[in-house]
Amino acid sequence: MFKFAPYVFKSLWRHRSRTLLTVSGSAVALFVFCFVGSVQRGLSRLTEDQQALRTLIVFQENRFCPASSKLPEDYARTVAKLPGVKEVVPIKVFTNNCRASLDVVVFNGMPPDQLQAARDLTLLSGSWGEFDSKTDAAVVGQAVAQRRGLKVGQRFTIGEVTVSVVGIFRSSVPAEDNYIYTHLDFLQRARGQSSVGTVTQLEVQVSESADPDQVAAAIDAQFRNGPVGTSTRSKGVFQRDTLSDLAELIGFAHWLGYACVGLVLALVATTTVMAVQDRIKEHAVLQTLGLRPGRIFRLVLAESILQSIAGGLLGIGAGLALLAWGGFAVGAEGVTIAFNPSLDLAISGAVISLVVGVLAGLAPGWQAARTQIVTALRQA
Amino acid sequence: MALVEIRRLTKQFRKGDEVITPLQEVNLDIERGDFVSLMGASGSGKSTLLNAIAGIDRPTSGEIVINGSDITKLSRGALADWRAANIGYIFQMHNLIPVLSAYENIELPLLLLPMSAAERQKRVEIALDAVNLRDRANHYPRQLSGGQEQRVGIARAIVANPTIIVGDEPTGDLDSETTEQILDLVQRLNSELGMTLLLVTHDPRVAALAPRQLRLEKGKLIEKGREVALVGGDFQERSA
Repeated sequence: MFKFAPYVFKSLWRHRSRTLLTVSGSAVALFVFCFVGSVQRGLSRLTEDQQALRTLIVFQENRFCPASSKLPEDYARTVAKLPGVKEVVPIKVFTNNCRASLDVVVFNGMPPDQLQAARDLTLLSGSWGEFDSKTDAAVVGQAVAQRRGLKVGQRFTIGEVTVSVVGIFRSSVPAEDNYIYTHLDFLQRARGQSSVGTVTQLEVQVSESADPDQVAAAIDAQFRNGPVGTSTRSKGVFQRDTLSDLAELIGFAHWLGYACVGLVLALVATTTVMAVQDRIKEHAVLQTLGLRPGRIFRLVLAESILQSIAGGLLGIGAGLALLAWGGFAVGAEGVTIAFNPSLDLAISGAVISLVVGVLAGLAPGWQAARTQIVTALRQA
Repeated sequence: MALVEIRRLTKQFRKGDEVITPLQEVNLDIERGDFVSLMGASGSGKSTLLNAIAGIDRPTSGEIVINGSDITKLSRGALADWRAANIGYIFQMHNLIPVLSAYENIELPLLLLPMSAAERQKRVEIALDAVNLRDRANHYPRQLSGGQEQRVGIARAIVANPTIIVGDEPTGDLDSETTEQILDLVQRLNSELGMTLLLVTHDPRVAALAPRQLRLEKGKLIEKGREVALVGGDFQERSA
């Protein structure tokens, strides 16, 4: 079959404009497919992460935006004493935008001594020492730093909050790369006196032996008659609930992914059908020379697959490169979904391109293989 | 045993309500090294007979035994393999693959045979020499004249050293000067290389070159100098 590779490549090059347009169309469709896929994977990572199942988020009851949840900070001490609770981290969240946004900036104020233990962060530049010693210090996730062009030593202001960037970090959880961490008391003060003594949420680590649901119920029961009621959910559920509107949109967007696949299929199939119809006589000549119908079928299939794969690889490559360099994320109410490139996304895109190439070539290949030699040779 | 043995070959097809029979119980023997021309009026069935012998058209009934194989009994795929090994086809319109160079066009039939790349190269170069086109090996069909294209077509037909070479009006699309060159080449294939040739033609000058001249009339095959007709399933020859 490889002996006929020059014929296949030259046949594609014969109508190079048509071939390039088809490849470009496939590339654009797979590019969109990659983006949609990365958003869906980002959401899945956020809500299905095993670690997220053993971490509870205590939020003020009937509140949804971080700005409106105000829990007394001393709730942390009470929660820490409950059975099954390993650790409690009080967190103050401040975001520039509570609505869904592609450029959401989320500040998380945490006690500095707890930050490194509670988060798996690797500093790419800067130092933890400076973070610990400076009150207005902030370590910035690499995605935000990339998006906003932030570097260590810069000062950075969003709304009423101005911080000194003392470190850029990479997290093992891609969504965390979109956060900025500061000292808890700094963020409480920066937001005005009324925030001192209150936090947005408590992050509770449940011990291995405890049932997270039972611990969550115990926490809510503890504060049912307190000054502020609580709503406690696992981190995964909390994030899913917070992003429920976005999740619906993202769920709908997967149809866009399927539409892209359909688009490539139609595009490549149309081009291949046209190529076969242009060459009915040529296929008859090849059969006269002794090419089996099966070989003619495979030659047509090879053309179809090459176009689909070429477009697919271009689109996937461009999509993954942009995802890698763009640091994109969508967020709402202080929770973000990171759009990250991944190997499985690249593999699934390549497999889809291959399958689409095969499907698009089946009917034209069959048509070419069934060419009646004598009838076709009579064509002008 | 003749190289080609055709027995009671009939070809019918339907055109609307009418059944047309271009070939009716035709018999023909072609010996190895024969040079046979086949003439006949338009629609007389000469191309149909040629295509049946070349294995690109199926007869309605009868036998075509070539080199010991009854090709009417071969499957579509097996028939393709058989053509690759046994048939060299010279088309009227050259029918070169436009995206391939002269060299690549000539090499095409060899890609189907078990052969090393070095052997393929050697054979293509011999074929190019035979048609005197070595200097045009890397030219594409659009860069060749009509006569040169037909010579490439002939080189492609002979390169695999087939059992029989068939030509359907091989000079039908050429001017008279180029026709002379092609006919000279075809004659040399037979006289110098001993190739078995069957040419379909309208042109009496082309037909006259062949030692054996056949004519198809009303589905029957007549050979100049003798009539070949089927009676009761046996060959009978009659002086013309």
